[in-house]
Amino acid sequence: MDGLLALSNELAAAVDRAGRWIVGVNARPRLGSTGIHWRQGFVVTANHTVQVDEGIGLIRADGRSVPATLAGRDPAIDLAILKVEPFDVGVAEVADSSSARVGHVVLALGAGPRASLGVISAVVGEPGSHKVGGDVLTLDLTLYPGFSGGPLVNAAGQVLGLVTSGRARHLQLAIPAATVSRVVDEVARRGHLAQAYLGVATQPVRLPDSIRERLGLAQETAVIVTDVRPDSPAAHGGLSIGDVIVSFGGATVLDPYDLKRVLRPDRVGQRLAVSVWRGDAPRELEVVVAERSARA
Amino acid sequence: MDLSGVAADLRRITVEIRDQHGSLGAGALWPAGHVVTNAHVARSPRLALGLVDGRRLDGRLVARDEALDLAILRIAGAGIGPTTPFDETPPRIGSLVIAVGHPFGLRSAVTVGIVHALGPLVRGGRAWIQADLRLGPGNSGGPIADAGGRIVGLSAMVMSGLGLAIPMRDVLGFVRGAGIVE
Repeated sequence: MDGLLALSNELAAAVDRAGRWIVGVNARPRLGSTGIHWRQGFVVTANHTVQVDEGIGLIRADGRSVPATLAGRDPAIDLAILKVEPFDVGVAEVADSSSARVGHVVLALGAGPRASLGVISAVVGEPGSHKVGGDVLTLDLTLYPGFSGGPLVNAAGQVLGLVTSGRARHLQLAIPAATVSRVVDEVARRGHLAQAYLGVATQPVRLPDSIRERLGLAQETAVIVTDVRPDSPAAHGGLSIGDVIVSFGGATVLDPYDLKRVLRPDRVGQRLAVSVWRGDAPRELEVVVAERSARA
Repeated sequence: MDLSGVAADLRRITVEIRDQHGSLGAGALWPAGHVVTNAHVARSPRLALGLVDGRRLDGRLVARDEALDLAILRIAGAGIGPTTPFDETPPRIGSLVIAVGHPFGLRSAVTVGIVHALGPLVRGGRAWIQADLRLGPGNSGGPIADAGGRIVGLSAMVMSGLGLAIPMRDVLGFVRGAGIVE
């Protein structure tokens, strides 16, 4: 078969296939959004489209509504996990999102299904990538109204990520499938989504050349601790006001967002290394990440 | 056929239509010396037509339906050349579509996208081919083809960034109703 027709058929087949495991999500006034049946009993969507905590409805392809409950939210990455009684909507076929490359042809799908075609324009995940929230695929395609929470699929119809227009203005993004799976696993294991807690306030600082040379670091910025909450993991680990954190949990820290990137829900209970510059010498500390209490 | 082949065929049958007020639209050559277009493009009984090869022709309005937004014209003179096959089966969601028209006056411009959805935009509305496809003023009435080069619809308008096309089934129904056999 000729190439153009083959590509066209492949794209249509991908929509067919992926259309089987998406649902409409009714969790805000007027405009519904899209959800992905990620694992049996768990539907994921974009957190910014879930404006209610109760009375959430999932709309199947036949138009029937199925009730769902909110199982967890991660506002930092704009992901909400909904729990649903087993229903006859297929479960998403998840691709290895680390295989996503700039220039790959992808489709975004909305409930219906409706489709949009484009390419991956950047793969972002480096320290300091706070402008879009880190660990995302940015897309050159149109996210039409109601697409948020829907899947980004490859030409084989496998899900590479969850699309959202709610994280950065003027940017169409997808949360990589690996990140979504990690959060869903966490909710399935604990029954809720824990918020990891360190207990510091920080600000970005420029590292003087003298310190960079002493530490043998290439990074030009780090964060300085401006507050340590009493009885927090940071306090127990010995962090003090004025400490300059250069790395946390093995990850380079260029700005405060890099701390948040490390503080994923699955880090709760883990012992993590903190490398700081204090006074005129480097120090290696350890903290045990806690779970933020509901009232905090 | 590759994309440039489909585009070249489509450009050959895409007509430029100028009404007495000077506004520019598009149309598709139809067998037996006819042109199909939108009613909102064909707003006068006589229209100036142009082909991609530079020929200028006169068109006379044969039938026009405001509600369907469709019109058919007859070209004065013969020997227009071959037309392109069409397909009244709705294209699949996700499949490629290729449009030719004159967006913002840019003659015979080609744009490519996919079928976004099929059906009405609002409950009870008319059925469209909704396309994730860049269209602009001047695309109206121009053909939209599938990856096999068959015409599947006529561009009609842009709504919330989507290109809306009148499905070929509606176009055929209108043309047959006007007593023209393809």
